Amino acid sequence: MTRFVLRRLGGGVVQVVIITFLAWMLFFVIARYTGATPALRAAGRNPSPERLAEVSHKLGTDQSYVVQYARFLKNIFVGNFGYSFNQRRPVSDILFPAARATASVVLGGVVVWMLVAVPVGAYGALRPRSMGDVMGRTFAILGMSIPIFWVAPMLSYFLAFQPTQGVLFGLHVLPKGTRIFPIDGYVRLGTNPGQWAHHLLLPWLAYATTFAAIYARYVRTLTIEQLSEDYVRTALAKGMRTSRLLIRHVGRNVSPILTVLLGVDIGIALGGTLFVETVFNIPGLGYTGINSIQTLDYPLVTGVITFAAIVAVGANTVVDLAHGFLDPRVRVGRG
Amino acid sequence: MTTVVAARTPALRRLRRDVPAMISAGILGLLIIIATIGAPLAAHFTGHPPTKQYPDAIAIDGLPIGVMQHPYLSDGITRDPSAGRFILGADRLGRDQLVRLFYGARISLIVAFGATGLAMLIGITLGLLAGYKGGWLDAVISRMIETAMAFPSLLLAVGLSVVVGPGLFNVLFVIALFTWFYPARIVRNATMSGARLLYVDSARSVGARPRRLLLVHILPQVWGPLLVFGTSIVANNILFESGLSYLGVGVPPPTASWGQMLSDGVNSGLYRVVPALAVVPGLALVATMLAFNLLGDGLRDAIDPKARR
Repeated sequence: MTRFVLRRLGGGVVQVVIITFLAWMLFFVIARYTGATPALRAAGRNPSPERLAEVSHKLGTDQSYVVQYARFLKNIFVGNFGYSFNQRRPVSDILFPAARATASVVLGGVVVWMLVAVPVGAYGALRPRSMGDVMGRTFAILGMSIPIFWVAPMLSYFLAFQPTQGVLFGLHVLPKGTRIFPIDGYVRLGTNPGQWAHHLLLPWLAYATTFAAIYARYVRTLTIEQLSEDYVRTALAKGMRTSRLLIRHVGRNVSPILTVLLGVDIGIALGGTLFVETVFNIPGLGYTGINSIQTLDYPLVTGVITFAAIVAVGANTVVDLAHGFLDPRVRVGRG
Repeated sequence: MTTVVAARTPALRRLRRDVPAMISAGILGLLIIIATIGAPLAAHFTGHPPTKQYPDAIAIDGLPIGVMQHPYLSDGITRDPSAGRFILGADRLGRDQLVRLFYGARISLIVAFGATGLAMLIGITLGLLAGYKGGWLDAVISRMIETAMAFPSLLLAVGLSVVVGPGLFNVLFVIALFTWFYPARIVRNATMSGARLLYVDSARSVGARPRRLLLVHILPQVWGPLLVFGTSIVANNILFESGLSYLGVGVPPPTASWGQMLSDGVNSGLYRVVPALAVVPGLALVATMLAFNLLGDGLRDAIDPKARR
């Protein structure tokens, strides 16, 4: 067991190092050859050569790459992500509030998509080829095909913007100025939990669409696989009620696999929330990351990427370890 | 050789009986026709080149004309029925949306297929090497694959696009660089298990070189899964390209692309007044993705009937 934990943790550290190395290479080495050196970005408009040299010295970019990278790694290790070029404050001061906003979007989204996916998938597995199953599968393949950056503005248009014009789904049924949902913005959970959920409901829906579809398919396939197992036939033959069979036996066999899949998808969540955050103006990690890339704010981008890497790899590692604890086969099986 | 033919034909027959998959194949065929000859034809018949801006297609208050409308007279208020209609309306700059949509299909397909081809090439090569050689090479490649799968690579991809600058081939290259690990994983695993098969051993015993073993004996085992996966990678790459364009780091304007048309309508806020600006490119994307996904499902079921339920 200890060996398994150590190996898994070691693998996680290697992954974080690979990702941060790529990010560092990209923004502090390759970017230099395209003319946008860090010092040039940090020194402000039309700097004199002396000022440029001074800034370069302060940033340490006048030293060899080996020294720079060693310092970069050491700084990450002690939690120092440097100073944002544009916002002139420590990157960590920007990252942590942003991470909270992103976590709000992701966790709410996960709840929404699981609430949809589990019943739909389970129903489809129990009554394959029934009317409900066909409908469920049709919506699933449709949901998988809708880009998140399209569903987000569409939801915002139909459920937030149009009602303010007195229109709901094309019908003039509302008084002008009705606000069903706020159009965008973000309220912190600590400030007002009700407003928090109200502002995030549309982002959650937008973010959950694709995943609800993908997970409904997962749940359906996994459940069907379990239903064809011998233990199911035995239990039914002994007269066990279907509800008990599903919850106590099938569910218990399906949920570890779903947990692992969830771990991976929460890890790569930033790829999707980025669009949701941009459309709904939520100051999360994705929004910050994209803005900092577009303004070439290197310390902030590398900070966001490093943070995302730690979260992604961390989520994977935790889930794998949990899976290893639950299922001894995993511990020895994988290398 | 006969076994291969015998194994392949039922799969094809099963695919032909799959109605949604066949409709999807038809839609994709239509899309290819639109992208190749439809786009110039549309430009010819409407008389609107894809990047030409028509000031007459924008009202005096700055709103572009909508679906099936005539452009304005030079006063920007009254319509000019003698001028040709804009079938899907005009965009923010007064360009013909229909023509741009058709030319956008071209970009989507070039990037999606090009990037997929490149990713397959890289992935198959590295997968074969990792699976066959094993050892440290496999360790390095496998760690790379695992890392890439576990990380939201879109941020790095956007970063790389900003750094390498805009351009059709840059986008294609960036996308390939962030998708090669899917085929690599399949090929690696298949090579590892395939290299142990008896007929591969027998080929080796009669003196076949590693190159021949890999290309003639092992690689053909994975064409099926690769085809299924390739379809979903093409779909993902269409999404990837439009995502990059949506974030403003895709194929540079004025070249039309679906993601860019969508972001143009959405980020300007203009889609709240002229919804077609967001609805039209969005529906094009959804239809294309849906066709690829259905075709991919059909291929999977046809190749592996046991997976069908």
